[in-house]
Amino acid sequence: MKELLKQLDDLISKEEVNVEKIQELKKELLKTHIRGLKIDNYIGDYPTFMEPVILGDAVKIGDDVLIGPDVYIGNNSEIGDYVEISNSIIFDNVKIGDNFKLDNCLIAKNSKFDFNNFKGNNCILKGIAKSKNELQIISI
Amino acid sequence: MPEKNRREVDRIKELESINLARDEIRDLAIDTKKEVERDNDLLAEQINKELVNKGIKSIDVVGAIGAGKTAILEKIVEYLSGKYRTLVICGDITTRVDANRIEKHNVETIQINTGRGCALNAYHIHQILNNKDLDNYDLIFIENVGNLICPSDFKLGTDKRITVVSITEGEWVIEKHPMLFKMSNIAVINKIDLAERLGTNIDKMVNDAKSINPNIEVILTSAKNGKNIEKLIEKLEL
Repeated sequence: MKELLKQLDDLISKEEVNVEKIQELKKELLKTHIRGLKIDNYIGDYPTFMEPVILGDAVKIGDDVLIGPDVYIGNNSEIGDYVEISNSIIFDNVKIGDNFKLDNCLIAKNSKFDFNNFKGNNCILKGIAKSKNELQIISI
Repeated sequence: MPEKNRREVDRIKELESINLARDEIRDLAIDTKKEVERDNDLLAEQINKELVNKGIKSIDVVGAIGAGKTAILEKIVEYLSGKYRTLVICGDITTRVDANRIEKHNVETIQINTGRGCALNAYHIHQILNNKDLDNYDLIFIENVGNLICPSDFKLGTDKRITVVSITEGEWVIEKHPMLFKMSNIAVINKIDLAERLGTNIDKMVNDAKSINPNIEVILTSAKNGKNIEKLIEKLEL
């Protein structure tokens, strides 16, 4: 799984993204490696998890959050309140504000979204953004 | 559900918790609550339509913690072994204990941990089913979070609902929790292997279920020794 994650991470970090390859790897990762519930090390107050969900170490999760199915969240990432994430991969050290609803998304490592209220479908999200306008959104 | 029961369920739903809203937001709280409930019901209808179209039978199982929901499901899937391609969706506030128990009988399971939520809702089921190729299944069971109150607020879109109680909960358990019995097709009174030792008035429990919902089928079971599991399966038309 680590190798696949690294390949995906490299692909989405590039300026020019290979959408086809990303979709192929994402599908492979979610369908063959993300199984069951691995949620032992999160910091937060009992969110809802719909398996399969895998969380890395020290993931912070806000109130009234729904995660799954088919979600991977990398180490030290931080999820705000009222967030819903499905069919998505979030890499390490990502910060997401409140009331994000994400389906079929990938979020590049070290991305910081310091704003609230955003809906994303079928996209790669990256960057350091204080508003939706500053966000890099690539459709997949 | 008979119209009289439906009206009563709606009335009780409207009464609960709205009194917590201060005057300024009372109207909004009522409107929002009704809208959310309506959305849940619409989604449940959509789920049922999709499952019926695909020829998938669906049953949800509700009941208090420790009543024997998982044990009954274990017996059912064991008995049906191989007859249906089965998916069991398990709801619990935390852990994967129930899903692991059922999975041992070679059945695919999906666990939902509701965290602070005291029941599954139609959106949970919609999200899980959306993520599955429904052509791979003939039968879906949903085991709700152990609770005799909250699940009455949320339809899940299944064909049938079973409410499980056990005689260890005392003979008043059905009388005290009428809502779920109004909404259920089958009441299972479990752990009857303990009847002699406990002296619980089982006839009262049966009569209570029948007087709350005259259309309900009542089945006395022991998931421990398998008594009447076959009869339950028959009533479920499986």
